[in-house]
Amino acid sequence: MATVDLPLPRLGVGAETAPRPIKVVLNWGRRYSLWVFNFGLACCAIEFIAASMARHDFIRLGVIPFAPGPRQADLMVVSGTVTDKMAPAVRRLYDQMPEPKYVISFGACSNSGGPYWDSYCVTKGVDTVVPVDVYVPGCPPRPEALLQGIIKLQEKIASESLSSKGMRAKYGGHRAATAAEVTRPLVAPPTREVVGG
Amino acid sequence: MGQTGEVTTTDGPRELTVGMGAGGLATADMVLNIGPQHPATHGVLRLRIVVDGERIITAEPVVGYMHRGAEKLFEVRDYRQIIVLANRHDWLSAFANELGVVLGVEQMLGLEVPERAVWARTLLAELNRVLNHLMFLGSYPLELGAITPIFYAFREREELQAVMEEASGGRMHYMFNRVGGLKEDLPAGWLDRVTHAVRAVRGRLPDLEALISGNEILEARTRGIGLLSPEAVAAYGVSGPIARASGVDMDLRRDAPYLAYPELFAPGGPGRVVTRTAGDCLARLEVLLEQVHVSLDLADACVERMRSLPQGPVNVRLPKVLKVPEGDLYTATENPLGFNGYYLVSRGEKTPWRLKLRSASFNNIGVLRELLPGALISDMVAILGSTFFVVGDIDK
Amino acid sequence: MSPAVEVLVRTVAVLAAFLVLPLLVGQTEHKVMAHMQGRLGPMYAGGFHGWAQLVADGVKFAQKEDVTPAAADRPVFRLAPAVGLVPYLVALAAVPLSPGLVGADAPASAVLVLAATAVGILGTLMAGWASANKYSLLGAMRAAAQLLSYELPLVLAVASVCLAAGSLSLTAIAGAWSPWWLLWQLPGAFVFLVAAVAELQRPPFDMPVADSELVFGAYTEYTGLRFAFFLLAEYAGIVLMSLLFAVLYLGGWKGPLSGDLGWLWTLLKGFVVSVLVIWMRVAWPRLREDQLQRLAWLGLVPLALLQLALTGVWVVATA
Repeated sequence: MATVDLPLPRLGVGAETAPRPIKVVLNWGRRYSLWVFNFGLACCAIEFIAASMARHDFIRLGVIPFAPGPRQADLMVVSGTVTDKMAPAVRRLYDQMPEPKYVISFGACSNSGGPYWDSYCVTKGVDTVVPVDVYVPGCPPRPEALLQGIIKLQEKIASESLSSKGMRAKYGGHRAATAAEVTRPLVAPPTREVVGG
Repeated sequence: MGQTGEVTTTDGPRELTVGMGAGGLATADMVLNIGPQHPATHGVLRLRIVVDGERIITAEPVVGYMHRGAEKLFEVRDYRQIIVLANRHDWLSAFANELGVVLGVEQMLGLEVPERAVWARTLLAELNRVLNHLMFLGSYPLELGAITPIFYAFREREELQAVMEEASGGRMHYMFNRVGGLKEDLPAGWLDRVTHAVRAVRGRLPDLEALISGNEILEARTRGIGLLSPEAVAAYGVSGPIARASGVDMDLRRDAPYLAYPELFAPGGPGRVVTRTAGDCLARLEVLLEQVHVSLDLADACVERMRSLPQGPVNVRLPKVLKVPEGDLYTATENPLGFNGYYLVSRGEKTPWRLKLRSASFNNIGVLRELLPGALISDMVAILGSTFFVVGDIDK
Repeated sequence: MSPAVEVLVRTVAVLAAFLVLPLLVGQTEHKVMAHMQGRLGPMYAGGFHGWAQLVADGVKFAQKEDVTPAAADRPVFRLAPAVGLVPYLVALAAVPLSPGLVGADAPASAVLVLAATAVGILGTLMAGWASANKYSLLGAMRAAAQLLSYELPLVLAVASVCLAAGSLSLTAIAGAWSPWWLLWQLPGAFVFLVAAVAELQRPPFDMPVADSELVFGAYTEYTGLRFAFFLLAEYAGIVLMSLLFAVLYLGGWKGPLSGDLGWLWTLLKGFVVSVLVIWMRVAWPRLREDQLQRLAWLGLVPLALLQLALTGVWVVATA
């Protein structure tokens, strides 16, 4: 399939022009404002929801679960089995998230395929599709495990030094995607005859 | 969203013509892709709908994004290992899923399960049913825009999950069933904690109910929406709470009893089948709410019964290599979401030759084709949520 | 003070209020909503009870990549957040906190405020149209439909108060207010509150954003600062409508010790109304667009007309 060049990522104006001491503040901002986009695929999604509820409550940590779409999200949590049919969608949504972005792989299935390791249709780990920052093991992991994973990610963010240059280096100076991942023709209407209406 | 939604720029005919008002303006129907990642599809169901403005003309569910090939994997797992995969297709009713497998294997082996294990299984299955229903009682209002009920529902879920976890060690996937009984006996004093948890949940349930069934807006959004006729129920093989909300009085716990249900559903027993006749979204929600009460009553009855049972084994000794005699058997159980059937074909090996899975959600969402046309996009969310499906249960 | 300096001071003061008050409401929403749901809300950002959560959000949004979809109508897409935000700034400048404390004392400030807020919706329409996304388009169309249903009752309700006070100036309206209005203008106050919530696109009238249906509607494709501007506009809208409600129906700065601390009364009353708006979000599901139309045309408009007639008769009778 033909590939399409995407523009290389550029940080927002704030991060680009800031002097070094300000970077600490910037990192602090990213650390405590992680709008999370839940890629809820399977069993683990329920434990993800449990982690956002009153008992475990990751909103305390500044993980805000009110981002329904990828455009507003900073963190994607892939919770559940990624199948080969779903993998392109995962990649596509990852590409739609604005930089800087982070990914937590939540659960055995998205880490490695888990109990479906020998299935013919399960992707053996979401890290074959998108880069992963933190892996949370378990089948499904307990909500506490997700909290720990979030804290690990926050520590990572706090010690980060972010620049457009570094970010572009991550893409190897070339961000490309298959044409189907960024755009695709209009969906044909169902062929079945009109019912009701 | 994501995969979907954008008006694209590739070549080919642009059939999208948007016009306001009627009359002289040419209008065209818009094809809208819902999913595979959309907040309303809780999971990865995909719907391809054709809309005229906001009114849906046709709708087609596209399934398979969650297909994990469990049935094929069953064929390379022995009968002990199958349970691991079997409880994962409907991740909200893990215990009920395990049951179908072990009941079938036990019947083919001709095993007699100790009475203690039978009652413990019944108890855990009913608690599992409550857990499942609570999830939908929380997530359904969420889809209609009410964000609070899910927090109430999860408080109760955590309460019940704690006792389930104490017995089985798992919060979701219990792996507590074994062929011939249970993995181990219940912890000492556990029954008291179950009673306590059930009482706590029952005591706080009115809070949740007041937010759901007492709300005028929710009623306005659900009453008369998504009418499902008993004929459609029969035609599509819909089962479970959705079928019962359309007046189809059918519940395997009563009609083809297994475990300890013959006694519980006997006249005078605590078991009863909840039905409604309206067949709309509200009726489906009401059935779910009332079933929570029934299941809590059943759990109480099981606890009472278990207290009077003598101590004894909860499983039977099995040979190291478990082989099921040649033959085939269909086992159906009443899962929280509907009929869950396993068709087991054995050729005398230690793995099944075929284990076909009949899951409730697959049939239940098939009927969306009938329900959605004519509805608005907002109604679509209400209807979709009220079919109470689990994507893994659709795609297996 | 020379006029130039005065203008500068006023502008800075209004801008500061415009940036601080919405953040206060946002943080209140986080905490109030959390405690109503048995949670704690943000606890870590900034240390004490997560007070800096929204500051962290702002710092983060400033760093995000600014994405404009390839298919989008570029200039319109990029302009839309400003169109959504600036009208509320203009409107806020005209709302008095006390007789002497107002950003810009316009003679017909009630009309100015209503006119300015009505422009804000254009930002949503532009965003939805320019995003080249079907969900955004649906959201924008819903917003346009919603516009029809709340604008008329809103204007009618305010007209009643203006009639009662015999002035179009917000300062004069609050000056003419007496506790008796609480009862007399009650239907109008109810209509105003409902219509204001519909204008703000807040639950139960958040159909245009409807995150579980339309995935944020018109804002679906927005990232980073541009999205943050829309968020700010939403909360600035809450601030504006709450203060307006306080000034029009609750007497603004009137209360014990209102001599020097009148502005505090206005803010306090406005804050209570904001909490009410937040509470609605916690408690209620979302209506459908046609149900809102029904409510507006069969409920709110007749009620507002009734109120207007009542006020008119009373004013003529007592004149």
